[in-house]
Amino acid sequence: MTIARRIALAAPAVIIAAGGLPAMAQAPAAAPLGQAPGFYRFKVGAWTITTVHDGFFRRPLEGFVRNAPIAEVQGILAENFMATDSLSVPFTITFAQKDATLVVFDAGNGVTPAAATNGKMIANMAAAGIDPARVTHVIQSHFHGDHINGLLNAANAAAFPNAEVIVPAAEWAWWTEAANESRSPEGQRPQFANVPRRFAPYQGKIRQVAAGVEVLPGITSIAAYGHTPGHTLYRIADGNAQMIFVADITNRPEFMMRRPEWQIVFDFDGDMAAATRRRVLDMLATDRIRVTGYHFPFPANGYVARHVSGGVQGFIFVPGDWSSAV
Amino acid sequence: MAQRRLMMTTALGAPLLARAAVAQPTPAAAAPATAPGFYRFKLGQFTVTTIYDGFRIMPVQGLVQNAPLEEVQAVLAESFLGPTDYRNIYAVTIVDTGRDLVVFDTGNGPQAPGATLGRLLATMPAAGLDPARVSTVVISHFHGDHINGLITAEGGAAFPNAEVVVPAREWAWWTEAGNETRSPPRQRPNFANTARRFAPYAGKIRQLNDGAEAVPGIRMHAAEGHSPGHTIWHIADGAAELVYLADITHRPELIARRPDYETLFDFDGAAGAATRRRVLDRMAADRVRVTGFHFPFPAIGFILREAQGFRFVPADWG
Repeated sequence: MTIARRIALAAPAVIIAAGGLPAMAQAPAAAPLGQAPGFYRFKVGAWTITTVHDGFFRRPLEGFVRNAPIAEVQGILAENFMATDSLSVPFTITFAQKDATLVVFDAGNGVTPAAATNGKMIANMAAAGIDPARVTHVIQSHFHGDHINGLLNAANAAAFPNAEVIVPAAEWAWWTEAANESRSPEGQRPQFANVPRRFAPYQGKIRQVAAGVEVLPGITSIAAYGHTPGHTLYRIADGNAQMIFVADITNRPEFMMRRPEWQIVFDFDGDMAAATRRRVLDMLATDRIRVTGYHFPFPANGYVARHVSGGVQGFIFVPGDWSSAV
Repeated sequence: MAQRRLMMTTALGAPLLARAAVAQPTPAAAAPATAPGFYRFKLGQFTVTTIYDGFRIMPVQGLVQNAPLEEVQAVLAESFLGPTDYRNIYAVTIVDTGRDLVVFDTGNGPQAPGATLGRLLATMPAAGLDPARVSTVVISHFHGDHINGLITAEGGAAFPNAEVVVPAREWAWWTEAGNETRSPPRQRPNFANTARRFAPYAGKIRQLNDGAEAVPGIRMHAAEGHSPGHTIWHIADGAAELVYLADITHRPELIARRPDYETLFDFDGAAGAATRRRVLDRMAADRVRVTGFHFPFPAIGFILREAQGFRFVPADWG
């Protein structure tokens, strides 16, 4: 262990003491015991990937899965040692940095009330040493509120003041055309007002992209429509190294990978979402590609494997191995 | 924030006197450093912290003594773990009961500069924990990765104010020189190492028998085989309970899923396997929360039965 590293690790509690350890005797007797900061780093070729926790939102389980009895959903949750009386939906934002490019995939829940369990991204970004002013590109998977609300800061100005915002053209087209409102499921209609509000400070800096194109060097869009009209995944590659940000291809993988045909309350077109999900998960399991997901258990990176449970051929999420070495 | 940013900068291996860099404008690129290796949760009124002591890469070949390499590699691949390099990981469980601050096993201890393991003492302050405040060190068994951290680089007590609680049967085995020739060759260095690592704690070592409490709420259970006196520990505050499984499995992705595998670390592989099946079966039946010394960090989760053995299901991060 280098001295530098020892100091680095001692720093939060002890500031700087050459040698680190002797100073611990003077440390406060009862430091407040908080959680570790919610970020995690790994490399994909020359890309440095950072996942940043944005907290979670606990919601009733009732009505969440639209096409399965609640007892069945509870059974799968119990198999995963999860609560069965409510559902905790976590949020994790993926950052990718290479040279001068710093990309954030989706913008998080943004500013929330102090007591809220979501909206932790801003603090966790700071802990990870990521300055929003240095973000060069915000790349959106889709326009649901938990993905775009963080485009605004507390003053309703741009949270990423120096960033270009890259959006799927199909997603942009749907939510910016007022006539589509009556053709959208009732639960989704608030997006029509929310979208112009959240994108307002970025006027002139929004770039629409098609599916299957390189949106930035090394980053390619992949159509995965259904959850929303233009829901899009992104492949991040450097040479042979690659990963895919799979956004909302599933909600929590513990149940949505095991039962890919389940449709959730947030799906725009549940049938299309389920067909897309099975196709994408099958590809990920075959190619054994590392993924990050927006609602995956933190640190939200890992792999997809085929798995049979209860007679259903589905998938499971296999978390990536945590390491202190980036 | 300035402190934390400094932490990121220095962890990069930047010059030691990098303090000046903090005052400068934010660097152009995000610093590729990890979050400090700790994780915390409540257990009733107790506070549990797991700390990452690091990892060591070793060959997959030779790890499992009673199964063909290809079979072992296939099991590893199901968890997306590589076929050649086995990442041996170490996680230390620490419990603050309010009355006692208890460390379960001590990690790999002092290492050469740049080592990827032996990080416990350096990481504890990041987690707000002071080694001088540790009142009790519980040792599950005496393999080096569990006891080497008892001492500092200078050879003193790493936990200067702690009592050390050890399984009586483990103590009896490794402190009796006559047992050396009766131990597998790979385990024989433990005799000299035990004497050396416990030396600074003379007069502060308490031997415990099966079923006894180390401190209120923390009880020892024999789980022998992996070593002659290997133990697991039941930690409870009222109805909230946790079991520290120590080395009941090595990495669970491999050894929980194939509980009959015996590894090169086992003292008595067959006895270890029988104990493992019994303990994992109980954990799965009770659906109790567990931590393990070689579990994937943050090393907290549950044991689920599956076709050929058991699966470790990580607990939700929160």
